[in-house]
Amino acid sequence: MEQVERWAKYVKEHPEEWKKKLKPFLDSQIIIANRFYKKLSETEEGRKKIQKIIELKC
Amino acid sequence: MKREISDKTILEKFAEDFVKIVEKYCRYIIVSGFVAIIHGRSRGTEDIDMIIERISKEKFIELHKAITEAGFECMQTNDPEILYSGYLMNNTSIRYTRKGEFLPEMEIKLAKDELDEIQLNTRIKLPEINKNIYFSSIEMNIAFKEEYLKSDKDMEDARHLRIVYEEKIDEHRINEIKKQIRRIRMRK
Repeated sequence: MEQVERWAKYVKEHPEEWKKKLKPFLDSQIIIANRFYKKLSETEEGRKKIQKIIELKC
Repeated sequence: MKREISDKTILEKFAEDFVKIVEKYCRYIIVSGFVAIIHGRSRGTEDIDMIIERISKEKFIELHKAITEAGFECMQTNDPEILYSGYLMNNTSIRYTRKGEFLPEMEIKLAKDELDEIQLNTRIKLPEINKNIYFSSIEMNIAFKEEYLKSDKDMEDARHLRIVYEEKIDEHRINEIKKQIRRIRMRK
């Protein structure tokens, strides 16, 4: 929680700067995950795994 | 918290593109994790939670058609009748992604009770953060996370929002919402 509070204070005190620091982290998570799933979907076995993941979520 | 368009994350652009369609058909709110993230909370997520008002099946069929024509697809099925009667009406969420992409996802639920109606009726835009998206109020998000959801992640989200909105938060309002949550959702 201490780290969360420290970062929240930084966000509050640096309204023009926090986004530049955070955007690469947030975007890369989506980009890397999509890259992984695309690779996985190239094989029949991979597509079955994706289907299982979708079923878990739904 | 002024920001340029190019500052927007993949998640935020996804949300904007999606709500642009939904708002033509019904009232909606974005709730929970994305509210904290768009305020600078440093954590990942793969979905955005949306609550929409209780629209009729016919209206939902139109909405689903518009969403899919705009380049999104539903993970469960493309049949809007099943999505409405089999999922939404049973308080089960449905998930949309951009066609051909796996993430991020928009997770949609129908408003299920008085509390969701209150959230929709008190929805807000936060022009300094994003002028295009309706959110449930900051007090509502904090109350839900502290009183109902309560995971470590949710408590950290709430703490983050409390610090960012330190001078603006209506503590009395948060306590009132917590009472409503206990009465309506937790039957206490």
